[in-house]
Amino acid sequence: MIGSLSRETPVIVQGITGRMGRTHAALMRAYGTNIVGGTSARTDVREAAGVPVFATCSDAVLATGATVSVAMAPPHETLAAVREALAAGIKLVVTVAEGVPMHDAIRIGRETRRAGALWIGASTPGMAIPGEIKLGFLPDVCLRPGPLAIMTKSGTLSYEVGYRLAEIGLGQSLWVGVGGDPVKGVRFADLLPVFLADERTRGIVLVGEVGGTEEEDCAEAYARLGAGKPLYALIAGREAKEGVSMGHAGALVHGESGTLASKQARLRQVGARVFDSLDAITRACGQDFHALKTAR
Amino acid sequence: MMLVEADGKALLRAVGIPVPAGADAPGPWMVKAQVPVGGRGLAGGVVRCASRAEVEAATRRIVGSRIKGHTVDAVLVEQAVGGQERYLSVMVDPAGYGLRVMWSAQGGVEIETAGSTQTRLCPPHAAAVAEALADLIAEEPEAWRRQVADIGRALAELLIERELALAEINPLFVSAAGCIAGDAKIVVDLNAIERQQSIADLIAARPGVYADANRKLAEGFDYVELDPMGEIGLVTTGAGLSMMVIDEMTARGAKPLNFCDVRTGQMRGSPVRLMRVLEWIVAAPALKAVLVNIFAGITDLSEFAELLATAIDRTPALRVPVVARLVGRNAAEAKRILAERHPTLFVTEDLEEALARVTAL
Repeated sequence: MIGSLSRETPVIVQGITGRMGRTHAALMRAYGTNIVGGTSARTDVREAAGVPVFATCSDAVLATGATVSVAMAPPHETLAAVREALAAGIKLVVTVAEGVPMHDAIRIGRETRRAGALWIGASTPGMAIPGEIKLGFLPDVCLRPGPLAIMTKSGTLSYEVGYRLAEIGLGQSLWVGVGGDPVKGVRFADLLPVFLADERTRGIVLVGEVGGTEEEDCAEAYARLGAGKPLYALIAGREAKEGVSMGHAGALVHGESGTLASKQARLRQVGARVFDSLDAITRACGQDFHALKTAR
Repeated sequence: MMLVEADGKALLRAVGIPVPAGADAPGPWMVKAQVPVGGRGLAGGVVRCASRAEVEAATRRIVGSRIKGHTVDAVLVEQAVGGQERYLSVMVDPAGYGLRVMWSAQGGVEIETAGSTQTRLCPPHAAAVAEALADLIAEEPEAWRRQVADIGRALAELLIERELALAEINPLFVSAAGCIAGDAKIVVDLNAIERQQSIADLIAARPGVYADANRKLAEGFDYVELDPMGEIGLVTTGAGLSMMVIDEMTARGAKPLNFCDVRTGQMRGSPVRLMRVLEWIVAAPALKAVLVNIFAGITDLSEFAELLATAIDRTPALRVPVVARLVGRNAAEAKRILAERHPTLFVTEDLEEALARVTAL
């Protein structure tokens, strides 16, 4: 479903009358996303960011035919927001909140899977297909259509990578922020087949962090799926302090698990190119995709 | 975030899992550094003592030492216990959306490399964990199998009720006389803290050990001290990018003081948050420079520049050079504002240039 999203895909914003909801609904619309409505507990507001406001997701879906929702709910209300979206038949829900409790995330994961829906998040700026659709708040200054698909745990670090690549003429085919939480929706290994199958995508950029096993799991999948497109990886947190979450709840190293060394080694074993600096990954992509660079 | 052993054991004791007697019990004793990291024994932070004098000597030696980036400010003294060693843990399984129970008939520090662990993925219910564990411990002697099962169930209930990420007992001492948790490794979820008062109380009770967590809970953003003798203070936004900046600076031979994600989007026109960060940074004795790195996707940098200039004005103790890398919305205007209000500030849009500059100072 992720690869086939387009400027036609009807999208609602849950929590559209809040400060964040209103701002980002307007910014997404300005980018070209087909925002068809929003939901809010406020009964006095009929319209926000230029689209109709509904009381519930079911009302919004019935009236608009939306299949995608961007939930701008606070962390402790994200579980309820996802449940409402699933009950309305939403097929892809993006939750941006930072700080969703882990045990809530387990429930969100189980319930989206049972409903046959996709979940992106939490703790993510969202995703984009540059030139088509933006779900969330990836900065426009970084977005540019092109040949590289980005999967990332970190918002800001991917902004930096995307921005530098865009500066040298390399844009993105797909960009998905899986988020910095340990328990989440779509993971790196789930995205890999999507990126490999996507015809626009010529190379894959993985922006990882210490903690968890997503990078290692993605390496396994890369080996299994046949490594059809080159994979470039940048992983932050070499100097992370053990036993302490480094900003993201998922960026927690304890013992040997989740270390940078483990992730880099596993990715290198399966043929990925692993870099230690922003400059190095930018230069390597610049060389390898020289022929695909475009002027702004 | 990982709790120190003493707090982990307090949680175990509260759900009826036996833990060793305290320092008042007869010896021998164990003296154990209370830092939230694994491998304390190999780092010299765990000592077995036969006499009270040895306990005192070990305590003096360990308190104040540094283990894996953490300064030891307390030790746990408890009665040494014996028996065969086992491994037992219950954790959130991120990919499986459930709980994973792990068991090994060999406990101890080598467990992660020994390859002897057996695991089962369960739905997030204590009964399911208990059922899976019963299967894993089927070979254990009758003499303690029942008690291990009870401990496993209590551990699963603890994990669920307190919304923990991990509850691990390694080693779990087993014998016909009873089972005792030799250690406790508990990883809590700070995102659930608002509805977990008992965990919040544990964290608040140790402002020194959990300095980073207490700061996050009090201030609403992340600041982690990496090295008290660090030379470069960081005012940065974004967890991933902040970590990367630290990695790149360290690779260039610089010594960063802290990790930080100030979340410019939450400042709402107030310089207070920046002032707090600068206040902590200028307290560092070896400080040489401050690096500000903001990638503004949404934030208006001209507003941020005003706040930064004001925060610097109100931090007279800041006497080291400041390098600011600002890129994104209204970066040019931000540069103009800072040049006017703080002409000595070095402002650039290029992170490489900022890193080169700050590491050369």
